[in-house]
Amino acid sequence: MIVLGVETATPQSSVALGSERGLIASVLLAGVAHQEAVVPALQHLLEWSEAELSQVGGVAVGIGPGLFTGLRVGVETAKTLAQVLRVPIVGLNSLDVLAYSVRYTQKLVGAVIDGRRGEVFYATYRTAPGGVMRMSDYAVGTAGRLVGELQAKGNEVLLVGNGALLYRRELEELGSKVEFASATLAHPLASSLVELAIPRFIREEADRLFDVVPLYLRKSDAEIAWDQRARGA
Amino acid sequence: MRVLGIETSCDETAVAVVEDGRTILSNLISSQVDLHRRFGGVVPEVAARAHVEVLNPLMEQALAEAGASFGGLDGVAATVGPGLVGALQVGLAAGKAASLATGAPFIGVNHLEGHIFANFLEHGPPEPPYVCLVVSGGHTMLIHMPEEHRYEILGQTVDDAAGEAFDKVARLLGLGFPGGPAVDELARKGNPDAVRFPRAMASSGDLDFSMSGLKTAVLRHVRGEQAAGRAINPADLAASFQEAIVDVQVSKTIRAARDRGVERVLLGGGVVANTRLRERMRDEVGAAGLRVLFPSLELCTDNAAMIACAGTSRLLLGERTPLDVGADPNLRLAS
Ligand SMILES: [Zn+2]
Repeated sequence: MIVLGVETATPQSSVALGSERGLIASVLLAGVAHQEAVVPALQHLLEWSEAELSQVGGVAVGIGPGLFTGLRVGVETAKTLAQVLRVPIVGLNSLDVLAYSVRYTQKLVGAVIDGRRGEVFYATYRTAPGGVMRMSDYAVGTAGRLVGELQAKGNEVLLVGNGALLYRRELEELGSKVEFASATLAHPLASSLVELAIPRFIREEADRLFDVVPLYLRKSDAEIAWDQRARGA
Repeated sequence: MRVLGIETSCDETAVAVVEDGRTILSNLISSQVDLHRRFGGVVPEVAARAHVEVLNPLMEQALAEAGASFGGLDGVAATVGPGLVGALQVGLAAGKAASLATGAPFIGVNHLEGHIFANFLEHGPPEPPYVCLVVSGGHTMLIHMPEEHRYEILGQTVDDAAGEAFDKVARLLGLGFPGGPAVDELARKGNPDAVRFPRAMASSGDLDFSMSGLKTAVLRHVRGEQAAGRAINPADLAASFQEAIVDVQVSKTIRAARDRGVERVLLGGGVVANTRLRERMRDEVGAAGLRVLFPSLELCTDNAAMIACAGTSRLLLGERTPLDVGADPNLRLAS
């Protein structure tokens, strides 16, 4: 069974094809809008790998948190592919996908995606057999807030993600206890996504297609303003 | 030729299946109006989020109603622009993915061309040339079409679109959102000659429109009456405001047709659902010796059948849109 993966939570779009035996093909592209990049990249992957769409047995997608527009392009593309091909879909959290690529560490892993507006999306993980285990809720906040939470935990921590690199100076306040994963690993990868999703397809634990939506972790500005007004009234 | 149409440029999620650019097999619209009402207008981020939730089940339903399947499609058409960029992205992504997965060719459609082609669904494509008036929440535009798919913009609004003016006056009168249908209904009970509002740019030589003067005049009138302690008759106000807008649209449309020496006038866009505009266009454009076409009410407002229709016409000419196309919130009609 071939699984097709789409990950668009950060400015880097990535798509991949993989199976139980491993990765078949993957494309990473930064600096090109998700809308322009994703479908052509899939088209190329299918052509180059000589895989047929009829061999695709599942679609995996990173649901965020991350860039709202990117997520919508990725999620809508993935949902429609699954719908037309009549195959199951699995939506995975992009922070989980990001943490998975640094799973061989005994340190606490902090996955940190740039949330724009001076905030980051983050969660913490521990290595576990076959992957990582999440140790916190998915959260949104300033780098300062993340520093506070990590200080309270007191562990040695490996931070990964474009949010960690963007706020490196603030996060370095954690001193010698903090280490940063390289820029190459700073984006959730569709290849990791596919690897994580395959067991789900094998166990037949797919999601309901129409229920797959981006995880925003933040309301729209209009809703925030409305809530504030409602509370003030 | 069986084409799937997808439209998500604003606050309606719409999917249609159209045969040969003429026969509507299904035409479904999921309106988000209830989501936006409390904000008094369309909130782009709220619209984009809702499209992702609604579009896929709506596609399933549209195919089922049409008795069609993804595998039986000969083309996929989706709106590329103009519109709200975040909202456009959703329908465009779905359209491209559906094309990739079915192998059916993809065509990106200009939303304004869709509004014009809504006429062809019901009337078939009449022989060009025509003059088209596209009036909606986002657009007020006079266009000369010397031949199909060729557009010359004759005039457009220099400030608000007509639909926005309706929304603002509706808010002033406490009629809520969306304003167009509410003002239309209230105006039927009012006297259009009760207040003489300015006919903005009616006498200017060009074919542009302006709504801000009218909007200010309505506001000033309301304040003046309130200051003088007089009660306002909302129905009269709605009717008088509407009459001022319609007057300008009718006179400029007739002038545009005369300028270009064309005999046919096509109307499109949500504001063309306005009762008074339809009535007066039918009467006066007809009296001027011109033929006027407008879509039925359901095809005036945003829908995907019009996108499928315009897309079919281009697909039949052999046009294809590459799958790396991006959403274009400011897309123009190509000349
Ligand atoms: Zn429209």
